[in-house]
Amino acid sequence: MTTYLVKDDLMAPEVIADPHAYYRALRETDPVHWNERWKGWVLTGYKEVVDVLRDAENFSSDRMGYLASELTQEEQESIAPIFHVLKYWMVFRDPPEHTVLRMLLNKLFTPVAIERYRPMVRKIVQKTLDKVVASGKMELIRDFAYEVPMTVILELIGAPDLDRDKIKEWSEAIGVFFFIKADEPRRREIACEGINSMVEYIKPLIEHRRENPGIDLISLLISAEEAGQINYNDVIATCVLLVFGGHETTMNLIANGTLALMEHPEQWEKLRNDPKLLKKGVEELLRYDGSVKSTVRWAKADVMVGGKQIKKGERLLVSLSGANRDPLQFDSPDDLDVTRDPNLHVAFAHGIHVCLGASLARMEVEEAFAGLINRISCPVLEEESYLNYYPSVVHRALKNLPIRFDQIK
Amino acid sequence: MGNIKVTVNHNRCVGSQLCMHFLPDVFDLDGNGQAIVCGLDDTDVTTLVQTAEQCPQCAIKVEDESTGEVLFPPAELGM
Repeated sequence: MTTYLVKDDLMAPEVIADPHAYYRALRETDPVHWNERWKGWVLTGYKEVVDVLRDAENFSSDRMGYLASELTQEEQESIAPIFHVLKYWMVFRDPPEHTVLRMLLNKLFTPVAIERYRPMVRKIVQKTLDKVVASGKMELIRDFAYEVPMTVILELIGAPDLDRDKIKEWSEAIGVFFFIKADEPRRREIACEGINSMVEYIKPLIEHRRENPGIDLISLLISAEEAGQINYNDVIATCVLLVFGGHETTMNLIANGTLALMEHPEQWEKLRNDPKLLKKGVEELLRYDGSVKSTVRWAKADVMVGGKQIKKGERLLVSLSGANRDPLQFDSPDDLDVTRDPNLHVAFAHGIHVCLGASLARMEVEEAFAGLINRISCPVLEEESYLNYYPSVVHRALKNLPIRFDQIK
Repeated sequence: MGNIKVTVNHNRCVGSQLCMHFLPDVFDLDGNGQAIVCGLDDTDVTTLVQTAEQCPQCAIKVEDESTGEVLFPPAELGM
């Protein structure tokens, strides 16, 4: 067993660089592992992960509730914006509140509902590529992977002119709270500033939509509020969630997927020769190196998982990346195979909290790769550059991806 | 209405429970937390298709057995 496994250090540089090796070692030795350092269980086996994610009766997602229970009243007040906004995020709520919000919002994100945005996304992909392909090189994240989902989500909320640099900055600040640098001492304060700024920026937009309703997502949230289905806090929090969640994870998915294909050029060629494979290919990129490595649950009761006794109140780090490479579920799980079928991965989680934006992300990533494979050769990493990931237990996020390629004319 | 057949593809179902919430008389969960069809009763076909649409995984198929027509998912989704 490697040293970092003994130390239970989920943030060790080698774990951040190659989480799959770490989770493989853990899955092979102890798929339901008590991590003494994190003071919680780490689940890396597919069956155990799926069992927990599909069991909302025994496992809670009420992150803010559990956080509140760990803090004094004074500490809670010092980070009030986090509580005021994030406790209304659907992802951190349990039934029955979760069910009401999910059933309402789900209608806007079904595969059929999302399909109508495909022509718009296709245009955005082409316009974004128009700016960079001729030069034969780009920083893929900055020039493409970030541009596409950010433009799409701003279109969907009906606000294409919002200041995307500010939104990016605030999103990163909010991300500090969950994703990046669990050891950053000011992480909660940084997140508060980000949330406050984003809320203040979005509020006038909500009021503008109230006066001038359209067919955008904000207008639909307002009409649900006016019909008494949700309240104003839900509207604000959901807008923040859509903007925040609408670009970051998709951006990372495009970047991780590009890198995976760069490392498997024969798979890039398969997609190029048969674009019909793109749907399956995107599922495989999600499985192989998705943008969310893990999610957290809290036991609501004493419950057995994979032969281990989990006690009420204990937390569980549910490793989506670990489950997605489990050989008991996937043949040759460490191989990238764009024809893999079936492919019931857990990249968007399973159960009631399965990603609301999954259909949007799938369609955007399909269009992104359709654009890439048609316009450029399989890229290679820019000389003298190296891969560097943000230190995060949750996100699989490259800092940048400088690439070279030939333009296909 | 012809003979309507509703099936859930367990290679796709992730147990979101949305179908069950929208149509509790038709859908239930099996022991693995995946959706199953427990009976269509007199549920009209439009409601069945609308519910199938809510599945984030497109795991629910609605067919007219008498004509063989697939009512959901539509061909353009490429499922």
